[in-house]
Amino acid sequence: MNEYEAKQMLKEYGIKVPNSFVANCEEDIENLNLKYPLVAKVLSEKILHKSDVGGVILNIRDKEDARHAFKKIHGKFNTPVLFEEMVSGGVELIIGVLNDASFGPAIMFGLGGIFTEVYKDVTFRVIPIKERDAWGMLEDIKGRKILEGYRGINVNKEKIVELLLSVSRLVEERGNIEGMDLNPVLATPHDVIVLDTKIIETSR
Amino acid sequence: MFEKLVNPESIAVIGASHNEKKIGFVVLKNLVSHNYRGKVYPVNPKGGEILGFKVYREVNEIPEVDLSVITLPAELTVKIFEDVAKKSKFIIPIAGGFGETGKEGKERERKLKEIADKYGARIIGPNTVGVLFPSTGVNTALIVPERSRFPEDGDIAFITQSGALGLLTMDEFSMYGVGFSYFVNLGNRIDVNENELLEFFGNDEKSKSVVLYIESFRDGRKFMEIAEQVSRKKGIVILKAGRTSRGGKAASLHTGALGGSDAVADGAFKQCGVIRAYDEIELVDYARALAHGKPIFGKRIAVVTSAGGVGVVTTDYIESEVRGIGMKMAELSDETKRKIKEEVVPFASVENPIDMTAQASDEDYDGVLEALNEDENVDAILVYALFQTPLISEKLVDIITKWANKGKPMVVGVIGSEFSLEMFRKFEKNGVPVYPTIERAVKSLRVLYDRGKILKRWEQ
Repeated sequence: MNEYEAKQMLKEYGIKVPNSFVANCEEDIENLNLKYPLVAKVLSEKILHKSDVGGVILNIRDKEDARHAFKKIHGKFNTPVLFEEMVSGGVELIIGVLNDASFGPAIMFGLGGIFTEVYKDVTFRVIPIKERDAWGMLEDIKGRKILEGYRGINVNKEKIVELLLSVSRLVEERGNIEGMDLNPVLATPHDVIVLDTKIIETSR
Repeated sequence: MFEKLVNPESIAVIGASHNEKKIGFVVLKNLVSHNYRGKVYPVNPKGGEILGFKVYREVNEIPEVDLSVITLPAELTVKIFEDVAKKSKFIIPIAGGFGETGKEGKERERKLKEIADKYGARIIGPNTVGVLFPSTGVNTALIVPERSRFPEDGDIAFITQSGALGLLTMDEFSMYGVGFSYFVNLGNRIDVNENELLEFFGNDEKSKSVVLYIESFRDGRKFMEIAEQVSRKKGIVILKAGRTSRGGKAASLHTGALGGSDAVADGAFKQCGVIRAYDEIELVDYARALAHGKPIFGKRIAVVTSAGGVGVVTTDYIESEVRGIGMKMAELSDETKRKIKEEVVPFASVENPIDMTAQASDEDYDGVLEALNEDENVDAILVYALFQTPLISEKLVDIITKWANKGKPMVVGVIGSEFSLEMFRKFEKNGVPVYPTIERAVKSLRVLYDRGKILKRWEQ
């Protein structure tokens, strides 16, 4: 499943993602009607690390920029290009799902960036989770104080809990999710928004 | 479900031996020395008599039995298994040489399971030290009696994937007078598994807490389901060892790389009310706290000691998040301080930790514990019973036991050599949670607090 399809699936479960537009050919750019600045991404389920291979272009200011970005990415990968409104600020989170050999589907939560990469400061629960489990996850991580407000950055913890419950519900209802990354998820004072996602389904 | 296993009316020992060094002899000897009261049927083609028991030449000659212990090597075990399965409700094949050795061993296991299923017999093992049930005298374990001990009867049920770790742990704790209700080594676990046993011990009146040593779960989801039910009634402590690596295509995801199965297990334990231990000492220490102590529903701890330094170190352990339990020293009420200062021990420090100094007597302890039990600012008490000073006597054990029974949640620390160890055993016998070091006492307080949180969680 490509990123656009994955995000559509998230939207069905009330999970917020950036406004987006898929361009299949250069002419499609005429119909691009998003709020600048934008990001352009290669749209392919085969490419898991888009920015590593030059598949992401940031800070697209206008339609002309967008056209250039399309040509560059489409030219390189011969795939459609996903345009999204850029969102910034807030605290980066990571949420994920894996299928554990002993316990089955489990959900992960942690602070994004350095906290996950260096400190592996993440916590798991077995799906389905209840609301108290979601709150427990926020309490579990060593960096929990950052969620309490830090250098003027505030996050809405209720919204994070809602997101965890929505992901749990999605996995439970779909029943064929092998793994998921929501990374990064941006938590702001009012909202949480999933900036990037990968979803892998069980092969049938 | 397992009534006939833990309390069998008859036991057959298949492969009974005249040779004192063989497991086929030891199992019989264990039954004699542990006063097993049921019928015993040794089987050995040579016949004759062992330890006064008549030996049967063939399995076909014995009547139906509740339990059969097979002490033969793997190959012979397979060969005789159908005869045994026809006669037995439960079978313990002791030998190794099964699934743990590879393909051929796996095939042997498959045969055992198939035969057992056909006759409705249940298998514990194979490749197991078997079981130890002190109250009924059933004991299949092989140890050197001069160098180790079996535990006495008690109220902790022990389920383990490692027989040796289990026996070592019980040997260690038997020195402290700690008893166990049941001990089962799952071995290669081809039939009876931890989930069925957890459920059974969960419903068993005799067992006040259940401990598990697990390397891999037979069915993690089922475990969670049963553990949640059991933890409403009694505490469960798990020592989960070993991390399995995860493969599969989801390993390409960030989440896959971050989550070993251990991290998921950790979350699962929190969801189903299981308390985690990280070594064999914590495992049994926490089980004793849960079996004998009361759950703690707040973070404010009062500490009573006659040794100032013990109070200071304890305070560090209680309040510190690193190498500590992150709880709070209680702010004693003015009334408590007044009572202690004016009525009980004028020479003591009445700030928490309450240092009664070496001048303290048994009665002083009684008075201080009474005052603390009336203080609403105190959620639990850690009291050190230190028998090294002249005014303290053995009576202190009864005084502290009285308050442990009728008062707020309490944990006792007893530090010292032979005499202290003797007092320690008295506390243990009285069913008071007692620990031989500061750290172990404090960590057990934390476990009782976690138990309180689990119980509140189930109330929601």
